[in-house]
Amino acid sequence: MAKPVVIVVGADKGGVGKTTVSRTLLDYFSANNVPTRAFDTEFPRGTLKRFHPDVTEIVDMTTTSDQMKIFDTLNSAGPSVTVIDVRAGLLSPSLASLRDIGFLDAAKSGQITFAVFHILGPSIASLDEIAETANFMQGAKYFLVKNFINNTSFFEWDQATYNSYFHRIKDATELTIPKLNEMAYEQVEVASVPFLKFVANKTMNDDAANYSFVLRGYVRHWLANVWSEFDRIKLTDLVGSSKASARGGEK
Amino acid sequence: MHRTPIYIICSPRPLVGKTLIARLLSEFLLLKNGAVRAFDINLKEPSLLDYLPKITETAEIDDTFGKMALMDCLIVNDGIAKVIDLGFHAFDEFFKMSGEIGFMKEAARRGVSPVILFVADTDRVSARAYPMLQQQIPATVLVTVDNEFVVRGELPQAFARGRVLRIAALPGFLKTYIDRLTFLFTDYLRGERDSSTELHQWIRENYFSFRELELNLILQKS
Repeated sequence: MAKPVVIVVGADKGGVGKTTVSRTLLDYFSANNVPTRAFDTEFPRGTLKRFHPDVTEIVDMTTTSDQMKIFDTLNSAGPSVTVIDVRAGLLSPSLASLRDIGFLDAAKSGQITFAVFHILGPSIASLDEIAETANFMQGAKYFLVKNFINNTSFFEWDQATYNSYFHRIKDATELTIPKLNEMAYEQVEVASVPFLKFVANKTMNDDAANYSFVLRGYVRHWLANVWSEFDRIKLTDLVGSSKASARGGEK
Repeated sequence: MHRTPIYIICSPRPLVGKTLIARLLSEFLLLKNGAVRAFDINLKEPSLLDYLPKITETAEIDDTFGKMALMDCLIVNDGIAKVIDLGFHAFDEFFKMSGEIGFMKEAARRGVSPVILFVADTDRVSARAYPMLQQQIPATVLVTVDNEFVVRGELPQAFARGRVLRIAALPGFLKTYIDRLTFLFTDYLRGERDSSTELHQWIRENYFSFRELELNLILQKS
């Protein structure tokens, strides 16, 4: 049986694009035929669930019962990849919980593949988050995501300061999510469909939709750039899947 | 399957004759097919809208709304040929956008045939723009327009390799004559009894070149 893979997407700050990155990950795995399930911790109303209702469950990460729902089912016969969209402010507490239940030790010993996508905001507080999160990262793949989708500018960072934080974490990898045209982003929000379905001009039920060709083009171009970042970090290798020769979204 | 042609007349330079070619082509298509839709993205220069107001719509690509309004309309295979008079100020943005949204591929998929008519000039801006187009546009649908009135001599070698459409220069007084806003090429052909006049022959030659271009495209597709 394939080794379970858990990918946590989080930040301690809100509005930095955690759910957007989670959505691109789910689209990426879907296009690469990697069976995936997702947990949305924006309890009780999840945004991720709205875009990927078939694979997403809303959970309250602070309760033991929901922690059991996520982690006690990792070795079951279901999808091998679990994406957890951690709501704002819960990243550090969630990692602490994972340490307490022995999950991080399991990752360290290689029983589980564990990756964290840490979405960075523009403020210096994000750099402090890196330092805090780094304490939990032994045995995990740590990805620092600079998300430009909502036109974030990282001007507040002094490069030397950033480097000093960045280098504290061994093997951390930087990722860049480029900016998406505002109107295209808004239209996908309104349509409430995965990016892939928007590009394919389909509704959630796979019926033909009537999205703008221009906006679909922008989303396709942007998604291809995001996925090339995922390809660069060899995400499919990380989850133990050989990449399909022709991806659904690229057809 | 019938394919809908879109002729995009463009140059990164002002005053190279884009609107003149757009006028000629629009009138030719109107004469031949009975219908044509022209789009003027050229409001800062002499404008197609001023010459052919009945068939011309204005379009803007400065913002996403404008791009959607234009491109969502162009990508439809409705059998009506489209002509775009693309102003020099919109050249970069248009091709950047069409590259990003995959316009050429989507057009091929939907039975729409874009043809790019690049009006050549001898300056550096044109020399830089052409390779960019070559990267994005298949050679079979990238046509260089050699407007004798602009190039005045040999077409630079870089442009001369692909398909070339020549537009002969007219004497100054005829140029002034056809530049009048009320002048229509087809009306002139119909109204002028003497077919040996220079202008008569010039219009017929250009219409013939367009017909040839159209036939070549049909042959390539088949």
